Amino acid sequence: MAYIISEEGQELLGAVKEFCEKEVKEQCKEYDKTGEWPKEIYDKAIEMQLHMLEVPEEYGGMGLDRVSVAALIEQMAIADSGFATTISASGLGMKPVLIGGTEEQKQRACDLIVDGGFAAFCLTEPGAGSDASAGKTTAVRDGDSYILNGRKCFITNGAVSSFYCVTAMTDKSAGTKGISMFYIEKDTPGLSTGHEEDKMGIRTSNTCDVVLEDCRIPASNLIGAEGQGFSIAMKTLDQARAWMGCIATGIAQRGMEEAIAYGKERIQFGKPVLKNQALQFKIADMAIKIETARQMVAHALTLMDLGLPYSKESAIAKCYASDIAMEVASEAIQMFGGYGYSREYPVEKLLRDAKIFQIFEGTNEIQRIVVANNTIGRF
Amino acid sequence: MEILVCIKQVPDDAAEIRLKADGTPDLDGVAQVVNAFDTYALEMATRLKEAVGGEITVISVGGESARDALKTCLAVGAQHAFLLTDPAFEGSDSLGKARILATAKAKLEEKSGKPFDLIFCGLEATDKATGQTGAQLAELLNLPLITNLTDISYENGTVTAKQETDFGYNLIDSAAPCVVTVNTPAYAPRYPTIKSKLAAKKMPIDPISLADLGEDAGKVGKQAALTRTVRFAEPPQKVAGVKIKEETCEDSARRAVAMMVEAKAL
Repeated sequence: MAYIISEEGQELLGAVKEFCEKEVKEQCKEYDKTGEWPKEIYDKAIEMQLHMLEVPEEYGGMGLDRVSVAALIEQMAIADSGFATTISASGLGMKPVLIGGTEEQKQRACDLIVDGGFAAFCLTEPGAGSDASAGKTTAVRDGDSYILNGRKCFITNGAVSSFYCVTAMTDKSAGTKGISMFYIEKDTPGLSTGHEEDKMGIRTSNTCDVVLEDCRIPASNLIGAEGQGFSIAMKTLDQARAWMGCIATGIAQRGMEEAIAYGKERIQFGKPVLKNQALQFKIADMAIKIETARQMVAHALTLMDLGLPYSKESAIAKCYASDIAMEVASEAIQMFGGYGYSREYPVEKLLRDAKIFQIFEGTNEIQRIVVANNTIGRF
Repeated sequence: MEILVCIKQVPDDAAEIRLKADGTPDLDGVAQVVNAFDTYALEMATRLKEAVGGEITVISVGGESARDALKTCLAVGAQHAFLLTDPAFEGSDSLGKARILATAKAKLEEKSGKPFDLIFCGLEATDKATGQTGAQLAELLNLPLITNLTDISYENGTVTAKQETDFGYNLIDSAAPCVVTVNTPAYAPRYPTIKSKLAAKKMPIDPISLADLGEDAGKVGKQAALTRTVRFAEPPQKVAGVKIKEETCEDSARRAVAMMVEAKAL
């Protein structure tokens, strides 16, 4: 079972799979070691237009339904989840504009993506992780401009983006109601990138600080109205979470595929180890978890396509898929025995890659709060 | 410039193919793809078209499934595609297929009023690897043939082709129109873009039958084939090589030479 996708999606899936098999999967092993951002792979992906799957049709995109896009993103994640993260985080970076922006802002942002750019979403700060209201970045109105100051951290695509959607306090006294969202293009004076993270996993994805020092931008770069930033950021994350679930599912799928292939080849006691029902049950448990995660992702994305509420489902998809990605990756290592612990084999990377999916775009503890609030209601 | 590219759909050459009990290849579950050399031919044709302008038409002799192969070509450079399909074509040998392609070329030119300046074929197909169709097509069309190309350019009605040889390469000029067969160039075939792939899905691929061609049924198909496949054989299984581990390098070299003499390789 996989995603039930449109005929168009099916056509594309074969091409994307071929691309990922030939250009991404093996190449990323080396980049995982070095931590270098593999520009040449991304250039090829951009040429194939894989970076603009989420651009709406009216702004130059393809007009694919979200579940079809998910099938393609999962395929990328099977090859390398850092690669898929770069692609998907660009979609995340674009969402604040699509959710709260003007027509001009939307067209401008989408044009930059279509022309081969990436985007970054800048919410997290050193002192403001799960508690976004603790952010210290400020935006002060000065005539027809805003002047921004502050430091954002853990920004995916921070050093490789064409534009940034940045939250900043316009009214410190108002808590989350004092947060506003701004659109800032790269090369804007006062915007720079800082410390680059040397990460445990998804090492083909760029993560760094984004620094704002007296960064002056036109007042027209405000997305929505002053004070709407928190609401736009939460809507953005609500949508993006399902996509993180999609990538986590891809990691788990890869783990299961590697475990099956190895289990068929590894001979112990005169037979392939996968002939043991104990290991077959491990595969069965993996399949049950992966399929459940995938269908949860599909359900959340279908709700989005239908214009129905999806906060709870998106949070479930992200939380569940990342939890099972960790479990499946760990069990895949177990099935490889000692070899699974070796960097020469492909499964230890999956565990390192999977962990971040329990943390970013809202930790799984925050996801459980979202699910609980949406399930229990006010009382 | 009007370019015709002849392609063949073949079983994926990356798949391991075994023989069935009746001695024929078991192709169940094996993906069907565009012959690798034909993808090189199309890429070379597309680069030439991008350099000098024009249009590319792809044609293929095959069943309904070959429609997918043509669609793939429409996503990576071709503007038109036609499927040469008829029960009467089944069992054609390479000469029979060359005859169908030659007649189709004439029909397409008649229909569009635009003669083809260049006809591209892959060097050979990865399934049967006879490597004859391109040459036979040139003969039937009475056109010059340049084989084994790794690059091509075109200026003022003259085609300049880089032909690979065992010792290097020849640069060969020919007047257009001519037929060329393509080996592996220095560049890889492009991937489709998401948009070109979606657009290709909507492009028409018209079938062309024996009746459409006005071809004589006696000249194509199994009964007209001059060659026949006697039997298929699986490639021999790879066996582990011999390891030479003598005490010294000199002894190892001596042992290697002795083994080669013994095997009458020297």
